[in-house]
Amino acid sequence: MRTEPAETPGRAATETPLAARAVRARKVYGEGDTAVVALDDVSLDLPSGEFTAIMGPSGSGKSTLMHCLAGLDTLTAGQVLVREIDLATLSDRERTILRRDRLGFVFQSFNLLPTLTAEENITLPADLAGRAPDPEWQRTVVAKLDLGARLCHRPSELSGGQQQRVAVARALISRPEVVFADEPTGALDQKAGTELLRFLRSVVDELGQTVLMVTHDPGAAAYADRVVFLVDGAIVEELAAPTRGAILDVMSRLGA
Amino acid sequence: MLRVSLRNLLVNKLRLLLTVMAVVIGVSFVSGTFVLSDTMVKAFDELYTGLTSGTDVVVRSKSAYEADVTTTGGQVRPVDDGLVETVRAVPGVAAAEGSVFGFALIIDKDGVPIQPGGAPTFGTSISADLELSGGGTMREGRPPSGPDEMVIDARTAHQAGFEVGDDVDVVLEDGRKTYELVGIVGFGETDSLLGATLSGWDLPTAQEALGKTGLVDEIDARAEDGVSADDLRGRIATVLPDGVEAVTGEQVAEDSTESVRDALGIFTTVLLVFAGVALLVGSFVIWNTFNVLVAQRRREVALLRAVGATRRQVLGGVLSEAVAIGAVAGLLGLVSGIGLALGIRSLLGLVGVDIPSTSPAIEMRTVVAGLVVGLGVTAVAAVLPAWSATRVAPMEALRDVVPVSRGSGRIRHLAGWVTTGVGAGLLLLIALMGNQRWWTVIATVTTFAGLVVVGPSLARGLARVADHGRRGNGWRLAARNVRRSSRRAAATALALTIGLTVVVAVSVTASSLKDSVTEAVSGGNRSDLILEAEGAGMGISPAVADLLRVRDDVRDVVELREWGAQIAGAGQLVTGLDPRGLDRVLDLGMESGAVTDLAPGRILVSASNAEDLGVRPGDELVVTFPETGPATFEVAGTFGRGSLINAHYVISMADFEANVTSRLDGAILLTVADGIGPDEAKATIEEAVAEYPNVEVNTPADITRDARASVDQLLGIVTALLLLAVVVAVLGIVNTLALSVVERTRELGLMRAVGATRRQVRAVVRRESVLMSLLGALTGVALGVGSGAALARALGDEGITTVSVPLLTVGVYFAIAVAVGVLAALGPARRASRVDVLRAVTTE
Ligand SMILES: Nc1ncnc2c1ncn2[C@@H]1O[C@H](COP(=O)(O)OP(=O)(O)OP(=O)(O)O)[C@@H](O)[C@H]1O
Ligand SMILES: [Mg+2]
Repeated sequence: MRTEPAETPGRAATETPLAARAVRARKVYGEGDTAVVALDDVSLDLPSGEFTAIMGPSGSGKSTLMHCLAGLDTLTAGQVLVREIDLATLSDRERTILRRDRLGFVFQSFNLLPTLTAEENITLPADLAGRAPDPEWQRTVVAKLDLGARLCHRPSELSGGQQQRVAVARALISRPEVVFADEPTGALDQKAGTELLRFLRSVVDELGQTVLMVTHDPGAAAYADRVVFLVDGAIVEELAAPTRGAILDVMSRLGA
Repeated sequence: MLRVSLRNLLVNKLRLLLTVMAVVIGVSFVSGTFVLSDTMVKAFDELYTGLTSGTDVVVRSKSAYEADVTTTGGQVRPVDDGLVETVRAVPGVAAAEGSVFGFALIIDKDGVPIQPGGAPTFGTSISADLELSGGGTMREGRPPSGPDEMVIDARTAHQAGFEVGDDVDVVLEDGRKTYELVGIVGFGETDSLLGATLSGWDLPTAQEALGKTGLVDEIDARAEDGVSADDLRGRIATVLPDGVEAVTGEQVAEDSTESVRDALGIFTTVLLVFAGVALLVGSFVIWNTFNVLVAQRRREVALLRAVGATRRQVLGGVLSEAVAIGAVAGLLGLVSGIGLALGIRSLLGLVGVDIPSTSPAIEMRTVVAGLVVGLGVTAVAAVLPAWSATRVAPMEALRDVVPVSRGSGRIRHLAGWVTTGVGAGLLLLIALMGNQRWWTVIATVTTFAGLVVVGPSLARGLARVADHGRRGNGWRLAARNVRRSSRRAAATALALTIGLTVVVAVSVTASSLKDSVTEAVSGGNRSDLILEAEGAGMGISPAVADLLRVRDDVRDVVELREWGAQIAGAGQLVTGLDPRGLDRVLDLGMESGAVTDLAPGRILVSASNAEDLGVRPGDELVVTFPETGPATFEVAGTFGRGSLINAHYVISMADFEANVTSRLDGAILLTVADGIGPDEAKATIEEAVAEYPNVEVNTPADITRDARASVDQLLGIVTALLLLAVVVAVLGIVNTLALSVVERTRELGLMRAVGATRRQVRAVVRRESVLMSLLGALTGVALGVGSGAALARALGDEGITTVSVPLLTVGVYFAIAVAVGVLAALGPARRASRVDVLRAVTTE
């Protein structure tokens, strides 16, 4: 484990240490002969203020797990709880509002609405909620991600790395319980990717946020506090305080 | 290539349907109009052929010119009935009978006049030789004979419940009489002649009843076996005096059919104009749809180009898609057009216009017109988008570029504003100057053309305003989307602009007309009561005026008659009146000369027509009457206020009677003795003319109200037809929205992922739609008010003297247009809110 953040802003410090968790999560696509078990009784805890990475071969269910945790998809069996709220008990509208107010997302690409400026994209969740974002927090996030000079630009006028940083800022604006990032560096070059990972690391360390990231890159996973390995929809291995070497070891052992 | 494009077509059935519908409405209007008028012409042709089947030759006075039946009722100068014997004596004539026609109004058992649908109410002689009496057959009873017997048509008998043996009251030119019903007549399978009521007597009785003693309107002759109709016509022609002609029955039928065709011509043209408006709007929708499709498929096209498709193949691909849509639309339009025609025909039947039944006439021309219009409109609308598809570079397949709508060039932009400005300025100028019909159209089209160019800027401007909306309520996102695809938004809105422009222009014109009518009545009228014939009947019996003249409580009685005549080569209505007392019932607003100058041989001309003809008091003016031919009049003066009596040419009653056979009054104006209030006067006079139930007694206020109501009624029909164009425009909005929802699946999914509720997504789409319809509504209302005002000023000659903008109505149209935006968004918005979040966020 890395050092605890010096100061833990927001509610994370005062509430349960688990930001979200999956309990015996099962997801089956299709039926009968063509059924695909994407998640096979996966249980995973996401403690507050921790940076977790998920790795695994293609088709192992990483994205599925993340989508289910994030309330974008529903489970076939099992539970997903965000701050002990069972997502299955929520209506579509309630889940949408939960995503808006308490969760953040960064996708591999196409994260931003092309008609809005960077700043407008960042404040979109708050706008949708019809309230102004906390200006101080907004300043903090923008400063952290080094976006100050780019706020008035349209996504088409930003580099891929800048776009992903705007997406991270957007994900953070509501001070979410968890930020989900599905291969956020997938479309970036080495340098931009590294930069983005540093930023993610620092929002965990300095802002006390919780991050769950899917990645194929052992180097990227090494930025996390913990790496979870998924094979055929099941967790097969966990690695705390990972290094690139340790991750590669596990990967070669798993044959991925 | 063809396979690719056809598959593209079928991918989205809804889109296909909407696109096709935009054209179908216009095409079905076109083909429906043709089928309806062809069917009617065919039906009348069959009827007239039947009517003259037993008559080989018709003898009648020559008409000075082909007068419009609606202004003369087809009346020609009667001939002396001695001529019947002359014709009978011609070798080869098997039988010849004279016949007369005229006004006869049948009163039903409750004392109410029978005037189905305003169709003519005529009386005629029924010859004992029924074959000569135009295909009529006795359904019941026998032909009339003697001064007390009559027959009526089966429809009237059926409607009024008359049976053979009943007494029937009839109002004639010179009073009311009672006859015994001895028979009921039918016409082949139909019960009446186009819904007209018919009273028939034997010839001497008819001559007396119709005020034509010693005269006949025509002589019908049948040839002996072995003598052809043409032969007989030639033989009879040699014995006829000057001014009388002999024509074959076949020719008469043809002429009659021709006049129906002519009368329907105007009707057909008007309907085709409406169809044209709907098609114009439809072509905008198609143009827009193809623009969007091409934009969406840029990468696909680029890929095709990269793998070796030539530009020509790309062009061909898009065009063949358009042709396929056009063909489908043409066919569907044709079929629904036939249905439409049949529907309208049965509707006419319901309101009492008895059109002889026949099978629908679907001529080759109709089929060709429907298909050509469908194909043409679609193909033309798709040409530009197809052309722009050919300019997609193969490189675009490799780059991940989002097509951005390029702003229009500076010069283009400037030209657009200049055009709009010139058009609008012209409209203003016309509204000030007046009487510029063609310029009104030109200015409107110019302004619209300008709007087409500046439309995108207007869309962006509107979006900029909407961008200030409160956070999170969807206005901002909607505004941004409109701004991003401002061209598309403008094209969509412009379709609505066209529809709204015509609707608003028509209602401004109608409202101006209504106010002018009010002004004409209050401005020119001095009478206390105005008597008119109810419905579109032929007129008031002159006996009514005589009866009123002898009353103590009536001071002035002025009869007005009008008839068609030709002046300077154009058909006009000529009014006959007696100038005595005219000043006390009516102010003609004399601009030169005086009303009292109106003596036999002299004519008063409206100031506007005098100016057009270039005549001044003292000049000569030739008026050609259909019955008597040309007569020369001296212009005695000009007047400015003829609109109350709808007159442009006024002659003395003596001249009128010398040239027109009909003795029926069009209207009677009167003043009552002092001290009698309007309501009392109306009640008294109504009682006085109770014997003539077709006479309507109106106060000036009644006239105003009725005139306004009839303008409203006409307006209602026209508006209903024009609203079809608005419907097409709405289809266009739905289409554009549906396409852009498909296009933005990922964006919508992203919005949902970061917390937009379904309701919020729907709101964004709806607001986009409202923005587009708002743009259409604003431009349409502005242009409509402008061209409506100019048009109203241009129609000064038709009696429109004031311009009035019906603010409430225009406001309602505006509100409807915006509401339509909300409605159009329902489907696309629902679709947008159902976007699968996961499919949107996982890269495909
Ligand atoms: N909508 C779907 N319908 C059917 N099967 C699906 C669907 N989505 C995912 N799957 C299947 O579920 C399994 C897990 O997919 P998932 O996308 O979670 O894998 P992943 O670990 O994210 O892979 P990658 O590293 O390639 O992104 C795969 O076998 C996939 O084929
Ligand atoms: Mg994945």
